Amino acid sequence: MSNKQKVLIVDDSEMNRSILADILGDKYEIIEAENGVQAVATIQKYGTELSVVLLDMVMPKMDGFGVLDMMNQHHWIDEVPVIMISAESSSSYVERAYDMGVTDFISRPFDALIVRRRVINTILLYAKQKKLTSLLADQLLQKEERSNLMVDILSHIVEFRNGESGMHVIHVRLITELLLNHLMHKVERYNDLTHEDLDMISMASALHDIGKISIDEAILNKPGRLTDEEFTIMKTHALIGAQMLSEMPYKDDKLIRTAYEICRWHHERYDGSGYPDGLKGDDIPISAQIVAMADVYDALTSERVYKKALPHETAVQMIIDDKCGAFNPELKECLLDVAETIRSTLASDVVALNQKRASQNAVAEMLRNNETSASERTLRLLEKEREKYKFFAALTKEIQVEYNPDPPTLTLSPWGAQKLGLDEIIMDPQNNEQVLTVTGAENWQKITELLLNSTPEQPMIKYDCKMFYNGELRWHQVIARAMWQQEDEPIFQGAIGKVIDIHDSKQRLAELERKANHDSLTGLLNHASAKKHIIESLEGHPHDKYALIIFDLDHFKNANDTYGHIFGDEVLKLEAQKLKGSLRAGDIAARIGGDEFLIFLRYTDEVEPIIERIFKTLIGRHEDFEFTVSMGVVQTEFADNDYETLFHCADQALYAAKRGGRGRYCFYRDDLPDTIHNKAKSSLSKIESNDPNREC
Amino acid sequence: MTLEECYVALEGSYTDAISRLRSEKLVRKFALKFLNDGSYQLLQDSLAKEDYAEAFRAAHTIKGVCQNLAFDKLGNSSEHLTESLRNGWSDAAPALIEQVKADYQQTIAALNDLDPE
Repeated sequence: MSNKQKVLIVDDSEMNRSILADILGDKYEIIEAENGVQAVATIQKYGTELSVVLLDMVMPKMDGFGVLDMMNQHHWIDEVPVIMISAESSSSYVERAYDMGVTDFISRPFDALIVRRRVINTILLYAKQKKLTSLLADQLLQKEERSNLMVDILSHIVEFRNGESGMHVIHVRLITELLLNHLMHKVERYNDLTHEDLDMISMASALHDIGKISIDEAILNKPGRLTDEEFTIMKTHALIGAQMLSEMPYKDDKLIRTAYEICRWHHERYDGSGYPDGLKGDDIPISAQIVAMADVYDALTSERVYKKALPHETAVQMIIDDKCGAFNPELKECLLDVAETIRSTLASDVVALNQKRASQNAVAEMLRNNETSASERTLRLLEKEREKYKFFAALTKEIQVEYNPDPPTLTLSPWGAQKLGLDEIIMDPQNNEQVLTVTGAENWQKITELLLNSTPEQPMIKYDCKMFYNGELRWHQVIARAMWQQEDEPIFQGAIGKVIDIHDSKQRLAELERKANHDSLTGLLNHASAKKHIIESLEGHPHDKYALIIFDLDHFKNANDTYGHIFGDEVLKLEAQKLKGSLRAGDIAARIGGDEFLIFLRYTDEVEPIIERIFKTLIGRHEDFEFTVSMGVVQTEFADNDYETLFHCADQALYAAKRGGRGRYCFYRDDLPDTIHNKAKSSLSKIESNDPNREC
Repeated sequence: MTLEECYVALEGSYTDAISRLRSEKLVRKFALKFLNDGSYQLLQDSLAKEDYAEAFRAAHTIKGVCQNLAFDKLGNSSEHLTESLRNGWSDAAPALIEQVKADYQQTIAALNDLDPE
């Protein structure tokens, strides 16, 4: 990784770029882009790693203003300074450039010294600004931690007087936060509550009992039941707390106002039977309703001078049954939803949790103020990750891809780009001719659909397709993962993936499949696969007319014995060749045993002329061996339309042909309603031979 | 001829160029590089194709480069041509194209006669 500061020079003229590069010298790492589109892609790739961008105005594809527009849309201009350099010097151009956020404007002809100086100044200025931002973030964090601390101290004082452990405040705060966070997502009318409100209410919850500071300790810490009179005094703590807050000089502060609501109304009941004001239903502010529930839960599950601690389940059930107060039904549902979380949270180290929560909130606050800013540390981590990724990508020799929808950019790993003959960064890839030549428009479309139809739960997709490069179409597998931003309605953020060349393995598989289906000697189908195809045809078009033919070579055993097996194999090959030559497209031919073959064909009118023709083709000689065949034929017109029956009948006809003296074909005829078993026995009467002199 | 004489021949300003780029070496390097710069060819090609937006950009680039190198004469004529093409074709363009052509050839001829260092 280079430690030099990176400067992006954007200019369509190579000369202009090299003049600028020479002027800046080797103090910087120079990255070049020759038009606006490339510039945007480069800025997107490097982000805040770029110390400054030198931007030309007049360029093809996308001009300097287009680049500035993009940088504004994506808030990059806030973090990556731009110096515009142009021969355009009319004040309207300059003004527009400044309006769009450029830091400086240098007009041509420029002075080398000025360019150098302004680049340095700009980099320094931005570095300072970044430092200030992180300082500010630290202070913000400190500030929130301190105000949390003050609130905690104050409420602890109240509790110690109360004889409580000091954990009550922390518990109430954690429970309040859990309940409220759930409520604002679950119940529509509370959707408007912001994270700021959440912080405010949970912080203010710590102050709910400050009024107790004015209650006599004898009453506060009385072990037994309070008398009516004592209870009346006790009840005044709500109003007193509220009054204390309303007398504060900061009474319009949002935190104080929220604390006021909570102090005054955290003993109200949803049915109107609470104190001090007897408010009913949603007249009680939601902040007070929630703190009331948290207060009751923690009181029930903690030991007090006047009572023992109750188990979690009992406490929850008592609240649900309104045994200890009366609550908003929606809030009760929330309690049930998060009860387990509350139990486990309070069982863990709540003090540490409380501190962590505070700092988390401060950071969340910061991010809310400026969505695009991230701390220096995060950026360093990000850069490290990127380096790691680049390193591994370079090692694996894979085509790795990344797609970003906004602006549409396809990024390829360097090795992948080289292999496919594409650029590493491609803007607007769905309309890029080179990309579409490689993938094919249809595949691109299909992959896009698959990604968009994926879900955050199942973001992976796999797609096999042919891709064209180096003058060759090859099979590839695309494995990709869609990136979803988790919102109520997930937002597509792009995809990452890789493209694997599976051409060879796919071909091997096809070859294996072919081998499995074919007879190795003759190249015809084997029995099993022929059967499969035949059944498919019979079931696919049950009303068509088919013939199934079985034949074997006459006296083949003699040939084998006389001339040897190699000779026999040659005869079989020759016969298979003749057979292939005599068939029409769509006919099925197979070798089903030693010298036994099968044909399956469809016909429309007469089958005999076809049989006659094939039969004649199959007669021949190999060297001294002259051979003929015996053939049995069955037509679906005369037998049941199922494979086993047809095969059996054809076999019967073949048998008849052999008995008839070989060198002939016989048809199976069955005009009688009969069973297969009987047919076999009485086959002779049902067989017709092609030998006119004999009755088979 | 020397670099200084070359600037006289192409009617540019040697002192301006030196004062901007701060080194004779850089000026020489880029002056020679101008011989291989494709912008003039791009200008001619785009005019032939009547692609005046592209011609505007090419003229604009020539102008920018010339200004930086203080090739004043060619810089001047290409600036006029740039303006005449800013909003597409204009009647003033043909004469300016001829002027840029003549100035370009003058510049190239001078650069070709530059002594090697």
